[in-house]
Amino acid sequence: MANKHLHELTKGIFKENPTFIIMLGMCPTLGVTTQVVNALGMSAGVLFVLLCSNVMISLLKNVIPDSVRIPAYVVVIASFVTIVEMVMHAFVPSVYKALGVYLPLIVVNCIILGRAEAFANKNTVLDSALDAIGMSIGFTLALTLIALIREVFGAGTITLIPIGDWDGVVSIPGLRTWPVRIMTLAAGALLLMGYLKAFFGWYSEKKQKRG
Amino acid sequence: MKTYFKVAGILGLICAVAAVILAWVNSVTAPKIAEYDQSQTLMALEAVSGGFDIGEKRFDDTSDTVSYIIPLTQNGKSAGYILELNATGYGGAMKLVASYDLAGEIIAVKMLSNSETPGIGKKSEDPSYMDKFIGTGGDGEVPTSKSQLSSDQAQAVSGATVTFTGISKALDYGSDYVRKQGGR
Repeated sequence: MANKHLHELTKGIFKENPTFIIMLGMCPTLGVTTQVVNALGMSAGVLFVLLCSNVMISLLKNVIPDSVRIPAYVVVIASFVTIVEMVMHAFVPSVYKALGVYLPLIVVNCIILGRAEAFANKNTVLDSALDAIGMSIGFTLALTLIALIREVFGAGTITLIPIGDWDGVVSIPGLRTWPVRIMTLAAGALLLMGYLKAFFGWYSEKKQKRG
Repeated sequence: MKTYFKVAGILGLICAVAAVILAWVNSVTAPKIAEYDQSQTLMALEAVSGGFDIGEKRFDDTSDTVSYIIPLTQNGKSAGYILELNATGYGGAMKLVASYDLAGEIIAVKMLSNSETPGIGKKSEDPSYMDKFIGTGGDGEVPTSKSQLSSDQAQAVSGATVTFTGISKALDYGSDYVRKQGGR
């Protein structure tokens, strides 16, 4: 039993990674990965909303009629996103300012709706919560990897969260002066996503053959 | 027929509960948000005032670009204006405040609200982004195309041309607008 719970938590990290394997939430993934700090911000928002919506939908799974489940899920998800947005704007304006653009994007992130439909409406509250945490970790790792490659090559910097006097930007000599500008643009995002998907496809095939 | 009513009732109930929760959260957060936005605008006005005294705000309904104008004074004499400008960027509407001297030369500019792409158009929030416009608009033209910039400056706006064009057009309009005020 404990093994099953552990499986729900860890499957999202590699085996069923939402970005590279299930290919969910591509729009925000390609949109926000221009800087590492954006990837971390988006991931934090997704973790919170996914956890809340998975738990809520798992609780309501016997109440919501099958024929209107999608509109019901959309109402639940949009409500959580709006609450997060309003609370952040009022009480932590600096975080809101950094995340401002991504918060509304979470509503249309199909990872949230996808997990509600594929998992939370059939499983227990605990498993749904574990699934949400695992998927969010997988999403965070994938987004950070894409953002790191795009930012290092495209801008020659790594932008992290500023702490005290440090502005949070690591400069990479050489690339800072002569960056591969296309990597920060939309075309670079698609190009990199294609290569990474091919790499993970090749890797899991190799693993399967060996196994 | 009965099932339809039941299904519609449940969906309606979920929506109603969500609406009540959202209304409550909004009633708690709205005053705080308004307070924060006001303090942000005040800070932006202070930042662009260039050390002059800030006068009374006048709204302008006749212009789409200028929302309001604030005269700047020094020792009771007119010294320039602050304008709140509406511009259009890649992500839609952008709001900025800019201060001009009486000849229409830009003293300082600050980006307020915008929905530009982070890492690209969002860079216009950096104070250094606006350096290229400062001192223009009087004798020299406000640069509205990349060819009017130095190669360093042009590289900094490449990939975010729509943002740059939106900002520069609004600033250019503001410069003409200020000159037409004639020190009033």
